[in-house]
Amino acid sequence: MTGSSDPGPDRIPSTASEWDQVGTASDIQHPDPPQGPPARQRLHPLSPALHGAKSLVVVIAGLSWSTLSRVGFGWFVAMVIVLALGASVLAVVSWYYTGYQVVGRELRIHEGLLWRRTRAIPLERLQAVEVVRPLLAQLTGLAELRLEVVGGGKTEAPLAYLSVAEAAALRQRLLALAGDAPGAVPAAQAQPAPAGVESVPPPGRPLHSVSNRDLLISQLLTPQAFLLPFGVAFVAIQFLSEGSWSFIAVASTLTAMAGVLLQPVRRVLDDWRFQLARDGDRLRIRNGLLETRSQTVPLHRVQTVRVTWPLLWRMKGWLRLRLEVAGYAAGEADERNRPDRLLPVGDRPTGEMIVAEVLPGVALSSMPLRPPPTRARWVNPLSRQVLGAGLTEQVFAVRSGLLVRRLTIVPYARLQSVRVVQGPVQRLLGLATVHADTAGGAGAAAVDRDLADAWALAAELTARSRAARRAG
Amino acid sequence: MSGDAAQTPPAGPTSPLEPWPDTVQWQSISTDLIWVELLRLAVGVAFVSIVLAVSWAMTDSWPVGAALGVVGLFALWRAVTIVRAVRAWGYAEREDDLLVRHGLLVRRLSIVPYSRMQFVDVSAGPLERAFDLATVQLHTAAAASDARVPGLRPAEASRLRDRLTALGEDRAEGL
Repeated sequence: MTGSSDPGPDRIPSTASEWDQVGTASDIQHPDPPQGPPARQRLHPLSPALHGAKSLVVVIAGLSWSTLSRVGFGWFVAMVIVLALGASVLAVVSWYYTGYQVVGRELRIHEGLLWRRTRAIPLERLQAVEVVRPLLAQLTGLAELRLEVVGGGKTEAPLAYLSVAEAAALRQRLLALAGDAPGAVPAAQAQPAPAGVESVPPPGRPLHSVSNRDLLISQLLTPQAFLLPFGVAFVAIQFLSEGSWSFIAVASTLTAMAGVLLQPVRRVLDDWRFQLARDGDRLRIRNGLLETRSQTVPLHRVQTVRVTWPLLWRMKGWLRLRLEVAGYAAGEADERNRPDRLLPVGDRPTGEMIVAEVLPGVALSSMPLRPPPTRARWVNPLSRQVLGAGLTEQVFAVRSGLLVRRLTIVPYARLQSVRVVQGPVQRLLGLATVHADTAGGAGAAAVDRDLADAWALAAELTARSRAARRAG
Repeated sequence: MSGDAAQTPPAGPTSPLEPWPDTVQWQSISTDLIWVELLRLAVGVAFVSIVLAVSWAMTDSWPVGAALGVVGLFALWRAVTIVRAVRAWGYAEREDDLLVRHGLLVRRLSIVPYSRMQFVDVSAGPLERAFDLATVQLHTAAAASDARVPGLRPAEASRLRDRLTALGEDRAEGL
C-alpha cells in the first residue's frame, strides 16, 4: 500500500542519485557512498489521482461560467475532460519522478523529469512538521506532510501524498533526527492510524477546545457576513427592476457572493473542532472539518503572539490569538498552511490562560502599557489613546488599532534586532518609532514614542534580550 | 555597558543622531563614498539630461526645458544631501551588538546583536572598487533587520567581517 513497497521503479533513480551527490553541497567531500543512503521512496501511488482530481476543480473554475454560456454544455464537458486528462498525465509523470530519502541528517527530495531537482533539507533547520489531510485525502486514507525550514521562503517540499501511518512515522523520524524530540516520541506514537476518525484529540495535556457554536457566531460577526444581506438585497433589486433572469447572470452573482463569503467560510471549515493541547514543550493543534490538520509547534520557536479584538466581537468580549513561528515566511501564499492559529475565538479568561501557557509569566490583562506623549495626537488624532507599549519581565508588548485592536507580544529572547526610526514629521514633534524585529514576521513596532523614551526603550530591549539569551 | 546606558537615558540632551553619547563611539565611514555616490548621481542625471536636451532641441517646446531645469535643481539638491547623508552614516561596535545609523530625512538606528548574526556579506561594486571601498552587510533571521555599512576601506571591511564572524560564533545562537 505504501509507496516504498513497489520495488521495481527503484532502478531508475540510480542515475538521479548520482545527480544528487553533485547537487548537494554538503556532500562534496564524500562523492559517493553508494550503499550508504537508504533507498529512495515513492509517494503513495494514489497521489496522482488526487492531484488530478484537484486540477479538475481548478480547470472548471478557470473555464468559468462565461465559457459555459458561450460554448454550450457538450463542448464544456469535452474541454474539461481534455484538460483534466492532460493534468492527470502530468501528475502521473511527476509522481513517477518524485521520491524522498533520509540520508544522515538530511532529507532529500527528488523531483522533476526534464529539470531534475534535488532538494536537501538539513534537519537541524527543521522548524515544524505537520500532517495535513485535505478532504479527498481523508476519503482515501492519505495525508500530506509539510516541512517548515528556517529561512525558507515558503513551505518546503510538501510530500503529497503518503499513507497516514507512513506520514506519522516519517514525521516522528524527522523530528527525532532534528534532535529536539525529548520524550515526545512515546506520546506521539498514539497517532491516529485509523483514517477518517477525526475527533481524536491531539496527544498531550488538552488545553482548550473551541466550541463550534462560538466559531460559527464569531464568523457571522465579521464584516463580510454582516454586509452580505445588503449585497443580496442590492442584487435582487437590480434583477427585479430589470426583469431579466438569465441563468448565467444568477450563477455569476452567486459565485461572486461565495467569493465574498470565502474567508469566513474557510475559517469556519479550517477551525472547526479546534483543539489545542500541550505535550511537553510543544503545542499540538488539531483542527479542520474537510481538511484535518495536526500541527506541532515547539514552544521555543514561538516568535510572536498576536492578540486581536475585532470590532464586532467586542460585544461578546471575544478575542483571537495568533502565533508567529520562525520558518513560516510571512509571504506564504496560502496562509492556511502557517501554523499561526492559537485560538480562533475565545473569551478573555481563555485567552489569558493560553497566553500564560505559551509565554509563562505573561498576564494578558495586566500589561503595563504606556501611551505615547500627548503631542503624538498630531500624527494619530483618533488612535493615540489606543497606542501603547510596555515592557514586562519577559516580553515586549505593543498595542495598536482603533477599530480592530491588536496587541503584539514579543518575548525578549526572540528579538533579532532593534531599530529606531524617525521620519520627518516625527522629527518635528520629537517622536520616534521603535521596531523590535523577529524572525519570519513583522515583529512589533512601538509608534510615536517620545524620542528620549524611544532611546531608553531601545536600550532596554537590547539589554533585556541579551539577558534573556544568556539565561536560556 | 549598554545596560548602564539603559539606566541613564533621559539624562543629557539627546540629539536625534547621538543616543548614549558617553558609551558609544561612533565610527564614520570614508568620505570617498561621497564621490562614489556623486558619480552615480552624475551618470543618472547626465543620461536624463541628454535625453531631455535632445528632445528639447528637436521639439523646441518649453515644458521640456523646464523639466531640464527641474532635473538640474534636483541634482544640486541631491548632491548636497549626499554629502550630508554620507557624513551622517555611522556605525559602532559595542561589546555585544553592532549599531548602525543612517538617513537624514528618515533617521534610522539599528541595533543588531552579534549573536543573532546569520551571515555577513562583503561586497564592492566596480565604482566602489575604483575608490577602494567596500560594503559590509550583516544578516539576521529577521528580514527587517537593517545593518548595512557602506564605504569602508577593504582592510577595515575585512576586519569588521572577521570580528563579526568571530563574535557571532562566540555567542552563536541564531534563533
